[in-house]
Amino acid sequence: MFLQLLINGLIAGAIYALVASGFSLIYSTCKFIHFAHGAVVTFSVYIAYLLFSNLGVNFWLAIILAVAFAAFLGWLINLIVYKPLRNRKTSPVILLVTGFAVLILLESLILMFFGADVKTIDFIEIAEGWQFFGAVITPLQIVIIAVALVLFVLLFLLMKTTRLGKAMRAVSDNKEVAEVVGIPAEKIYSWSFIIGSAIAGIGGILIGLEQNLEPTMGTNLVIKGFTAAIIGGIGSVPGAVLGSFLLGLAENFGIWYLPSGYKDAIAFVILFIFLLFMPHGILGLKRK
Amino acid sequence: MLSAYIIHLLILIGIYLILAMSLQLAMGFSGLLNLGHIAFYAIGAYTSALLALAGCPFWLCILCACLLAMAFGHLLAIPTHKLKGDYLALATMGFTFVVYAVALNWTDLTRGPLGLPGIPKPNLFGLDFSSNFNFLFLTIAIALITYLIIKQITRSPFGKALQAVRDDELAAQVLGKNTFKLKSYSLATSAFFAGIAGSLYAHYVTFIDPSSFTIMQLIPVLAIVIIAGLASLRGTIIAAIILILLPEPLRFIGFPSSIVGPARQIIYALILILILIFKPTGFFGKVKLE
Repeated sequence: MFLQLLINGLIAGAIYALVASGFSLIYSTCKFIHFAHGAVVTFSVYIAYLLFSNLGVNFWLAIILAVAFAAFLGWLINLIVYKPLRNRKTSPVILLVTGFAVLILLESLILMFFGADVKTIDFIEIAEGWQFFGAVITPLQIVIIAVALVLFVLLFLLMKTTRLGKAMRAVSDNKEVAEVVGIPAEKIYSWSFIIGSAIAGIGGILIGLEQNLEPTMGTNLVIKGFTAAIIGGIGSVPGAVLGSFLLGLAENFGIWYLPSGYKDAIAFVILFIFLLFMPHGILGLKRK
Repeated sequence: MLSAYIIHLLILIGIYLILAMSLQLAMGFSGLLNLGHIAFYAIGAYTSALLALAGCPFWLCILCACLLAMAFGHLLAIPTHKLKGDYLALATMGFTFVVYAVALNWTDLTRGPLGLPGIPKPNLFGLDFSSNFNFLFLTIAIALITYLIIKQITRSPFGKALQAVRDDELAAQVLGKNTFKLKSYSLATSAFFAGIAGSLYAHYVTFIDPSSFTIMQLIPVLAIVIIAGLASLRGTIIAAIILILLPEPLRFIGFPSSIVGPARQIIYALILILILIFKPTGFFGKVKLE
């Protein structure tokens, strides 16, 4: 039982981390909570469903197109919604409310076109899980954890070694100084949205293979994503990954004692505790 | 038939108006970006419904509904009073999800996703409000009382102090105002009226389930407040009427209800985004959203 909950916690953690790392990347450069990130996840998985299950496109092509669309959608939201607000020096809380409205708008669009009924992407036939000291894990779940870990290493390398990553960290540190030395902040914002949304897109597809598709799945995921980001320290990508795994574990061990429906409530109690007592999270930077 | 439809719309406007005006008190007049308003609405609705189903008279139901919502408003203010801006927004939004999860999972009390059917129509001191026409009068009367009370609050020294906290919390503290007390009273009063709205809703539709109280439901209320502009009660009334009526033509064009539901949300969300981008003070707003 313990081992099974541990494995479930790690799988949930990997899924949250895919959402939270992109979310945290965007927060670290742009300094606001991009709520519509959840809609990017939902769109990516529904596009993959549409292409693969409805139109019969090759699976891998469908995935690539869906991830590209997610990246495009993130870029577009930044361009037409957030950029005009930023130009007017709007406070982060208004950006959050606007992002929330964008999330509801996009989810309602999905609800309108695809309907409320639950859908599945039947790419992987239901495989029998591997027994592992009495716990069960499916090959897909191992793929989820592996893909998540590979993506985090790539993201880490991107941030540490490339010019773009350095520019992102510079803008994150101090936007004005970065602009003075010739780093175009708006361009860096766009890139954060593109990269963050592409990761979310990959995450969305993995989630879609593991669970059912629902139009409102993004809301739940973005909330888990930011809870994880706050646990780990908002604005710190490694922190978001750490926070995601902690959250996944806490939820799954929590339902040892509580009915499983309270899973979401557990996340919120943790969010409350961190907001109140440790608003900078475990690895986070202090906010001004 | 058409008049029954108009009465239905007017009742909806009344309920949303109470919700929006109470959110104005917290958001517009006190500067608390409270995204947990639907939770108080839910607490009011469930309290009232459960008491009514247990046989309590309507006046007791509605009284308990708003007092319990108020108590939760005060409770929420205690941990969140130090949070500002986006952190406050997130924490209050979290409260909505906790209340939703409890409504969905505490099946012994709320029957979970099955919901509570058969909530009796109100009967107040011998006056029967079971017909929609009579219920409309009740709604309008309560909306009017809510308007007058909130108007009085905003004009009172307490209301002025709230606005001072909104504009400059530090200055208000320097002048010796206990800003925690002010903010928690404001949130509690705001929750009180949301509880009334919840109670009215429960007794009007006679069936409630957790799906009526998701975070999605916040969008119309938030749209009303932001289109009206912060701290404008008159604007709130106009915005509530316009926004509730706006998606109605969709029904007559003949779209199925599976399209009308999401289309309503799309209209509200789109309006909200456009207003925030192009007219951030709303149409009657006196203060800038921050």
